[in-house]
Amino acid sequence: MVISAQLFSFFTAGSLVIIGIFAALFLDNLIKKIIGLAFIGDGANLFIITMGYKPGGIVYIFLPNMTISNFAQNASYPLPFALVLTSIVIGASTLAVMLGLVIVLNKRHDSLSASKILGDESD
Amino acid sequence: MNVYDLILKRIREIQGKTEEEEPLTNISASSMLTAEITIISSLLIALIMVRLISKTLMIVLVIAVFFIALMISPIMPKLMREQNDSFSNMIFYIVLALGIIVALFYWGNLNV
Amino acid sequence: MDSLMPIMVILPIASALFLNLLHGKDRTIKILAIVTALVLPIIPLLTGYGSHYFGGYAPLSQNSAIAQGLPALITSTQLFVFHPSIVYVFGSAQKIMIFVLGIIAFFAIFTSLSETKKPSGVYTYLMFMGTAAVTAILLSDDIFNFYVFFEIAALAQIGIVIASNVKNNYETALKYIILGNIAGPLLLLGIALLLGVTGNVNITDIIYSIKNGYVNPQNPVLLMALALITFGWLYGSGLPPFHTIKSALYSKALPHGSALIQAITVFIMVALGVMILRIFSYLSFSKMAIIAISLLALVLSITMALVQTDFKRIIGYLALGELGYIGIGLGLGTTLGITAGLFQAVNEAIITAFLFIGFGTVLYKTRISDTRKLGGMMFVNPRVALLVLLAGLAMAGVPPLNAFQSKLMLIQASIQSGVPELGIIMILLSIVTFMTFMKAFYTIYMRPKPDELEIHDYKIPKATIISLVAFLIICLTLGLFPQIATNSLQTLASSLV
Repeated sequence: MVISAQLFSFFTAGSLVIIGIFAALFLDNLIKKIIGLAFIGDGANLFIITMGYKPGGIVYIFLPNMTISNFAQNASYPLPFALVLTSIVIGASTLAVMLGLVIVLNKRHDSLSASKILGDESD
Repeated sequence: MNVYDLILKRIREIQGKTEEEEPLTNISASSMLTAEITIISSLLIALIMVRLISKTLMIVLVIAVFFIALMISPIMPKLMREQNDSFSNMIFYIVLALGIIVALFYWGNLNV
Repeated sequence: MDSLMPIMVILPIASALFLNLLHGKDRTIKILAIVTALVLPIIPLLTGYGSHYFGGYAPLSQNSAIAQGLPALITSTQLFVFHPSIVYVFGSAQKIMIFVLGIIAFFAIFTSLSETKKPSGVYTYLMFMGTAAVTAILLSDDIFNFYVFFEIAALAQIGIVIASNVKNNYETALKYIILGNIAGPLLLLGIALLLGVTGNVNITDIIYSIKNGYVNPQNPVLLMALALITFGWLYGSGLPPFHTIKSALYSKALPHGSALIQAITVFIMVALGVMILRIFSYLSFSKMAIIAISLLALVLSITMALVQTDFKRIIGYLALGELGYIGIGLGLGTTLGITAGLFQAVNEAIITAFLFIGFGTVLYKTRISDTRKLGGMMFVNPRVALLVLLAGLAMAGVPPLNAFQSKLMLIQASIQSGVPELGIIMILLSIVTFMTFMKAFYTIYMRPKPDELEIHDYKIPKATIISLVAFLIICLTLGLFPQIATNSLQTLASSLV
C-alpha cells in the first residue's frame, strides 16, 4: 500500500502536536517542555504547508506561454506558504522569550525542574 | 455537626496543610461560606435550564445535585485547592478542557 | 476607503519602536508618549466608516479596471467576490471600542509615566504595542491577520509583566507563555482547518462560502475548527480553565499595566467571540457552549475572588468574572443580548481600569498588596477612597453608573430569550461581586490601621487623580446616556443575528 505524501505529512503533523502536548504535560525539565511546545507549533505549521501541496501541481507563477485555465487547474495553492512564514516568525519570537525567561529563572533557582520553579509557592 | 462547623474545620485543615499560622478570622470564614452557598445555588439555578431539553431530567438532576452537594459539602475548599497556582495543576486542567471541548463539539454536534 | 484607518494601528507601532530606541532620554520619551497616547482615542473619532483593502486590492466585483477581460472561469465563480488582500473593516461598534481602548491606554501610560521615577522606553513600547495589536484585532476581517496580532498582544502582555518589578513575576510570565504556546498553535490549527475547508482566510468570504453552499456546513472538519478556535478563545480571554493564570498575570503587573492588560483581554474576548458568532452561528451548539463557558467563568471566578487575600488578585478574578456577563450576552444570540454583551464589555474595560488604578494608589503608598496587612487607608486619603468606592459600586451595577445599564439590558435580554434563570444567576453574582468588593474595601480602607503598617508619605501624583476622575466621568456619562454606546453597538449586533 502506498501512502500519499500529503496524507503522510498530515499524520506527521498530527503526531508532532500530540508529542508536543505529551512533553508539555509530563516532562519536568523546562527545556524539554519548551522543545515539546516548539513541536506543537511545528506541527501546526507543517499542517498548513501540507494543505498547499498539490500532487503534480506547478509553481504558482504565471509564465508567458501559459493559458489562464491551464494555470488555474494546475497551480498549487500559494496562500498557505505565505501564512506559514509569518507563523514561523511568531513561533521563533515566543521561543526566544521562553528561553530567556528560563535562563533568568535558572540563575535564580539554580534548577531546571518545572515542579520546583513553577510549583505552588510561586504565585 | 452543622455545615458551618464543618466548613470551619475544613478551612483549618487546609490552612494547616499550607502551614500558615494565621488565625481563622470572621471575614475569611464568612467569605468561604458565601462562596459555598453561591456555588451550590447558582449550580441549582443553572440546572433548571435543562427543562428546555427534558422536564423529567431537570427534576431528577436538580434533586440529585442537591443531595450530592449536601453530601460532599464543603465544596469550596476542594475547589480552592484545585485552582491553585501550581503549574502542573493548571496544565492538567487546560489539556483536560481541550479534550472535553474537542469531544463535545465534534461528537455532540454530529449526533444532535 | 479612509486612509486614517491603518493609521490607528501604524501610529502606536511606530511610536512604540521610536520609544524603544529612545530608552534613556527621559524627557523626550515622556513628551512623545503622552502626545501619541493622546492622539490614539482621537483618530477613531475622525475616521469615516468603511473598509480598507491593503495594497489597494479590492474584490474584483468592485474593481472594474482589472475585472475587464478576465475569463468566465474567474468572473462567473465566487472568485469574483472574494477579497484578495487583508481587509480592515471600521464600523460604529469598532469606533466606540477603539475609542475606549485608546482612552484606557492613554490613562494607563499617563499614570505609569508619573508614578515611576524614571520613564522606561521599553515599558511604554510594550504598552503601545499591546494597544496597536488589539486595535488591529478589532479592525481585522482577516482571520490569519487576527492570529498574528493575537500572538503579538500575548507577547505584549507577558512583556508588561516581565518589565514590572513585582515578586515572582518571571515565574508567572513563564507559566502564561507556556500555556499560551499550547493554546496559540491550536488556535492556528483551527484557522488552518477553516482555510483548508473554505480555501480562504477572509471572514466575509468564509461566511459567503458556507451560506452559499460551496462548503458543506455540517462538515466535521468545520466542527473541529470551531472546537479549536473556541479553545483559543478561552486562552485569549482568560475564561476557565485559564482564569487562574490570567488573574495571576493581572496581579503580577503594576496597577497601570494591569489596567491595560485587562482592556486587551476584554477586547480580545469580544473580537474572538464576535468572530465565532459570525462564522458558526448556524450551529446552535456554538451558542450553548458560549453560555455554558460563561456561566462557569462567572461562578468560578467570582467565588475565587471571594476567598483571595491579595487585592490585585481579587480585582483580577472579579474582572474575569465580569467576562462571563459579556459571554452570556453574546451567547443569547438576540440583538438585545449581543448589544448588551458588547456594552458590558465597554463598561467593564473602563471600570476595571478604574479599579486597578484606584487600588494602585494603595500599592503606591504602602508597597503592600496583601489585604491582611493593610488597614486605615481611609484617613490617609479620603478623596481617593471615595473614588475607589464609586468604582466598586459601578462594577457591582449600582445606578446611575454604567454597568447598571448593561446588566439591566442583559437581564432583560435573558428574559426575552426565555431563559430567566440566567438573569437570576446574574443578579445573584452581582450581589456577590459587591460583597467581594466591599470586603476588600473594608479591610484596606475602613478597619483600624495595623501597627506594623508603614505608610510612605509620597504624594499621590496628580495624573492618577485626573485619570480616576476622568474614568468616573465616563462611567457617569455612559450610565446616564447609554444610547451613546448602545446605538453604535446595535449595528454590529443586528448584523450577527
